[in-house]
Amino acid sequence: MSNLLQQIINGIVIGHAYALVAIGWTLLLGVARLVNFGHGQMYMLGAFVTWWAFAKAGMPYWAAVPISMGVGAIIGLIMQKVMLRATFDQNLVSIMIMTLGFGYVLHGVAALIFGSTGQVLDTPWSQIEFEYGELWLTAQDLAIILAAVIIFIGLNWLLNSTRYGRLVRMVAEDPKLAQLAGINVRRIYFGVFAFEGAAVAFAAGMVAPRTPILTSMGFDEVIMTFVVVVLGGIGSVRGSYIAGVGLGIFTSLFAALVAPAYTTAAAFLLLIAVLVIRPKGLGAKVGSGAH
Amino acid sequence: MTSSSQLTPVLSVQNLKVRYSGNLAVDVQSLEVGRGEVVGVVGANGAGKSSLVNGLLDWSRGVAQVTGNVRLDGALLDSIPTHQRIRSGLLLVPEGRLIFSQLSVHENLTTSFDQVNTDYRRIYSRDDVYDLFPRLKERRHHLGSQLSGGERQMLGIGRALMMGPKLLMLDEPSIGLAPMLVSQVLQTMKTLARAGLSILLVEQNVRAALSVVDRLVLLERGRIVMQGSAVEMENSPRIAEAYLGTH
Repeated sequence: MSNLLQQIINGIVIGHAYALVAIGWTLLLGVARLVNFGHGQMYMLGAFVTWWAFAKAGMPYWAAVPISMGVGAIIGLIMQKVMLRATFDQNLVSIMIMTLGFGYVLHGVAALIFGSTGQVLDTPWSQIEFEYGELWLTAQDLAIILAAVIIFIGLNWLLNSTRYGRLVRMVAEDPKLAQLAGINVRRIYFGVFAFEGAAVAFAAGMVAPRTPILTSMGFDEVIMTFVVVVLGGIGSVRGSYIAGVGLGIFTSLFAALVAPAYTTAAAFLLLIAVLVIRPKGLGAKVGSGAH
Repeated sequence: MTSSSQLTPVLSVQNLKVRYSGNLAVDVQSLEVGRGEVVGVVGANGAGKSSLVNGLLDWSRGVAQVTGNVRLDGALLDSIPTHQRIRSGLLLVPEGRLIFSQLSVHENLTTSFDQVNTDYRRIYSRDDVYDLFPRLKERRHHLGSQLSGGERQMLGIGRALMMGPKLLMLDEPSIGLAPMLVSQVLQTMKTLARAGLSILLVEQNVRAALSVVDRLVLLERGRIVMQGSAVEMENSPRIAEAYLGTH
């Protein structure tokens, strides 16, 4: 019984991690209708920059994460600069290939800089453990849950209650009409890409301490993000939170009760099942407001 | 306002060409709209009416290539992107999707930028728009998608008025509306024109256009083939035969 409870707790933590990792792509997909298959490598880079700033440059953890976010935002801006034409033309095939290629470039650059050996991002919060009977949780786990909840509530508020959020929703619904409203659509696209880069770097800084990090990682992250985003309903902020947490609990229970080796396959089966039953996913897209 | 600025046409176009993948859709040598003037652009389907007004903003739902000189109040707009042309007061209520359907009426009536240089233009507040279209006030909490065609047209015009038009361009505002709503939209245009607003009206319905415009321009295959005052054009056999269905 306590084992099952522990698995559910793990699932909740992993689920919030999934949701946190997916948030940038959710907005990207909802607003610019873009996919980013370099997302996983951006996660990897976020983890390594945090590790470098923390373990090598000796900065405190709370300062290392924002530095990694800054690097992530710059990478997002560069990506958007390169893909702007394809973004405006909604050339999805080009964008898929370009982002996939960009991911490999990031992998190569990271391997050159950080080497190919695994590292451990040993944050002060990972050392703090809370125990209750046989159940346990680290402060890092709690921070992941808290950060995910705050970011999702914050993003929802930003989108639905601020002027900038309204502009983003206008561009999401109809970028051409947004131009006629005097909106600099290009700037909104840049903003969304910078957010994607910073958000995935932040997620990496929070989530990567749970496992050893390698410059070759990224595939699992991009696949799970893809599942979360599609499950949640393309571009829905609230939907991807629910989908992330749900998927975390599902994979964690599946790994414990069935077999850990097949969790990715099981996640995809779940995705297919949900798409058959609810073709638009669990939520609606950003443009329709996450009401 | 200087006397010279009163003489400058609010819109002046030279040698405007709009192409879609190489095909010339608009080829207008010269077109002017005077301050406070209401000019109608009429012509058959596919004559290039929409391409003309869209081209003035270097805007298109497709991929259009636009060349030529466009001046608003004497200022050359050529190298300025669409959203900046909008901010400088060249406003378009496009045909088709003209409002944000997933935003409420209230949100649709919120401007997306701060006006810096307002010159002589009137910038409508949301309440001004509600005074002009009381129906919108009743429906202010509804989403754009819940509005009827006529209400969408009102909302589109209201949105444009709040951005401070120097020239308001309307692309087929009467399309798909019931006759009573058409006359209501035309009535609104007359009210705005009387208040001094310059308007460029694209209409397929020539009779409707003639009831509001000062001057009418006839477009065929992207070229201006005839223009004149409303009275002249109404009495022209060519217009009467081809567009009014009378002899």
